[in-house]
Amino acid sequence: MLDRDKGEHLPNLRPDRRPPHPSWLPRQRRGTTPQMIGRYPDFDVLDAVDTWDPATKKVVLARLEPAGPLRFFGPEEEPALRALCDVTTAQDREPRVPVAELVDAKLADGELDGFQYADMPDDRDTWHLVLAGLDHSARDRYARSFARCTVEEQQDVVRDLSQGALSGGTWDSLNVRRAWSVCMRAILAGFYSHPWAWNEIGFGGPAYPRGYMRTGPTSVLEPFETPGATAEDAAQAVADNPEVFG
Amino acid sequence: MSVRNLLKGSAGPTDNDSRFLLDVHSRQLPGESTMSRYDESVEVDLVVVGAGAGGSVLAQRLARRGWRVVIIEAGPFWHPDDDWVSDEAGSHGLYWTQNRIIGGSDPIELGKNNSGRGVGGSMVHYAGYTPRFHPSDFATFSRDGVGADWPISYDDLLPHYEQVERELPVAGQNWPWGHPHSYPFSPHPVSEAAGKVWRGARARGIEMRVGPVGIVNGTFGNRPHCIYRGYCLQGCKVNAKASPYVTHLPDALAHAVEIRSGCMASRVELDERGRATGVVYLEEAGGPEHLQRAAFVAIAGYSIETPRLLLSSTSRRFPDGLGNDHDQVGRYVMVQGATQTAGRWPEELRMYKSPPPEISSEDFYETDLSRGFARGFSIQTVSPLPIGWAEHVLADGHWGAALREYMRDYNHWATVGVLNELLAQPENRVTLASQTDQYGLPVARMDYTLCDNDKANIAYSTTVTTDILKAAGAQDVLTIKRFAHLIGGARMGSSPASSVVDANQRLWGVPNLFLADGSVCPTQGSANPALTIMALASRLAARMADGSAMSDDPEARAGRPPRQVANAQE
Ligand SMILES: Cc1cc2nc3c(=O)[nH]c(=O)nc-3n(C[C@H](O)[C@H](O)[C@H](O)COP(=O)(O)OP(=O)(O)OC[C@H]3O[C@@H](n4cnc5c(N)ncnc54)[C@H](O)[C@@H]3O)c2cc1C
Ligand code: SF4
Repeated sequence: MLDRDKGEHLPNLRPDRRPPHPSWLPRQRRGTTPQMIGRYPDFDVLDAVDTWDPATKKVVLARLEPAGPLRFFGPEEEPALRALCDVTTAQDREPRVPVAELVDAKLADGELDGFQYADMPDDRDTWHLVLAGLDHSARDRYARSFARCTVEEQQDVVRDLSQGALSGGTWDSLNVRRAWSVCMRAILAGFYSHPWAWNEIGFGGPAYPRGYMRTGPTSVLEPFETPGATAEDAAQAVADNPEVFG
Repeated sequence: MSVRNLLKGSAGPTDNDSRFLLDVHSRQLPGESTMSRYDESVEVDLVVVGAGAGGSVLAQRLARRGWRVVIIEAGPFWHPDDDWVSDEAGSHGLYWTQNRIIGGSDPIELGKNNSGRGVGGSMVHYAGYTPRFHPSDFATFSRDGVGADWPISYDDLLPHYEQVERELPVAGQNWPWGHPHSYPFSPHPVSEAAGKVWRGARARGIEMRVGPVGIVNGTFGNRPHCIYRGYCLQGCKVNAKASPYVTHLPDALAHAVEIRSGCMASRVELDERGRATGVVYLEEAGGPEHLQRAAFVAIAGYSIETPRLLLSSTSRRFPDGLGNDHDQVGRYVMVQGATQTAGRWPEELRMYKSPPPEISSEDFYETDLSRGFARGFSIQTVSPLPIGWAEHVLADGHWGAALREYMRDYNHWATVGVLNELLAQPENRVTLASQTDQYGLPVARMDYTLCDNDKANIAYSTTVTTDILKAAGAQDVLTIKRFAHLIGGARMGSSPASSVVDANQRLWGVPNLFLADGSVCPTQGSANPALTIMALASRLAARMADGSAMSDDPEARAGRPPRQVANAQE
């Protein structure tokens, strides 16, 4: 078992800088999480639906409706789209947050982000070019389409995509590093807009009109108050607590 | 005890009844259905483009003096109970998401990060920090040899800062930096996440204070107390957070202002003598042009749209765009470096509770050449919601299983950001692109390139915030380099050769046209801009009302040499 308090699960703190296999996590007991894993096995944000305002309820609950069909991407693009969404969010089995459909809906509705790099096409064109590029690179390396590659092969291609290190085919008409950020903006906005993802991370979700009453225990001392006397050595206490006495 | 402390929380603003006009049980801006309507062929006293921070304050002030005012606003007239949601992705409609082209060596990502579109402008979804600029910000060129001097000084804005702070109202601790001052409302309680940053800063000898935020803390007319739900950047459904939608527009409507929402201004019309006769706008794509006639025109579309509108308003007199005889329109646009650093602790902090703006420090605001660069930065806590946090984790290089692992750890993190003063440069500018929007109007292009001073400032400030987190015992640190806040692009100055408007924000070359938004600022300091934009509009309104803003006296137009108010540190 990994020591959560020491942060032994955090990639930056691990010798190989890679995440542990998610099998260290408890299985979800209440509600749904992506792949039924998470850190809050008994938390279901949907238990609080009756504390949300009607407008918010409508927008959030719509994400739980059956997703699709795809409107923006064509059938020939669908396998690469699904593979990219899966590998970038590490969704390797059901239940899945329907990231591909959420991205598709955003692009079909023309919900763009309000900026376009001067050396890049419109975000919608970028998506088409990226999916074609993934198939190009996969064929080039592994002689099959991106969707038919193993997850490890897909990860290799995506790692290069994230570092702007792909070329040939449609990649040559893109700034590859920026194309990565265009795609990831939409993928992450889709994944983390979904209540199942909130269950996984223990996020409290919409908070109006309920609000929060327990925001933290630090606000004990007013700026003009000082801590009370204790039995410990006063000089040591001052030395140990510069933030209180300093 | 000073008189202001004695009156804390009890002295309401004068000449602004917005807080009483709001309904306790609904978030709706009152008066939409009974609003005055002016016939567009009738010349009103003033037409304002943009119902944001600057435009709303100007309209409210002058309407109180009896001016007949029409505001042309591109975005919707919000109905917050129905239109705003307590949800990140669902708030997409609040932002200016019409296309803009970004270029230069360091292109600035716009959209949700920079500007809004709709009645209330960008403050509808701003974070809520409301610091003043420092006196030094008005004279960075003569003090530090960088940036520019303003044609006005801190003194000129002081009474307006105080008035706007009472109107928002601002809550915070007594402020020791810049020109020391106190705030009308007491500081909010601080969350556990911000507490980590607080303790780390104290351990490093860095002073932090609670606030200043434009968020109600106590009783303020019909506006409720904050419920600490943390969705300030998605629009406050509570009416606790200040934006013109609740602070100035209710009073404006009660004084016969008309807001014409869903109307995109396409150009300013001039007559033979070179006076502005009104503003041309489109109600729908492909629809007919309308002209609202007015004795005076004020543009307040913010740092990208104001230059865009000026550049689009070509005529025989101004073939390169209105007021652009000297190729100044669109230049010296600025953002602030806004790198955010997050730290991890064993216990749960749940940073999403409480408003994102909590505590800040201006210890590093002023120039200290031993750091290796001119000017400085401020430090402020922030608290990204899940999608924002995912972007933060991605920026540190994690995707796939690593990203999911960091995301599951969300509740253990606290985030601190900086605002670096980036210097005004002529090539950082807004121009017109070849692409057009849904109205067929050319969209704006914004080019941005950091100078060496900017880069040194950003790099140094990141070491400070990382050090604060480490001092508080953070086990792991993740950093995202980003930018925030727009300012400039049509700056005020002492001569037409180096500026777009004069010391009264009046366009050089057009006698009855004013700019009333963030585009006029020659520098940005390390303070968030909204309070200063409102204070500038408040000052402009006072000067338009008494006629001094229309003065043709060359000395009045050039402004006076800055009379220095000392900074606290001096
Ligand atoms: C996410 C975010 C967080 C922020 N946080 C803070 C903060 O904590 N503190 C702070 O001080 N500032 C903050 N800001 C910045 C602050 O909101 C802006 O600086 C301020 O609102 C700008 O005021 P303005 O009057 O210049 O423009 P705006 O308030 O943007 O108003 C401009 C209005 O003009 C309209 N418009 C533009 N062009 C046209 C046209 N052609 N025709 C008709 N209408 C038009 C727009 O739709 C808009 O409503 C934040 C901004 C964002 C986006
Ligand atoms: S945290 Fe407070 S100010 Fe911010 S949106 Fe919620 S109620 Fe409004």
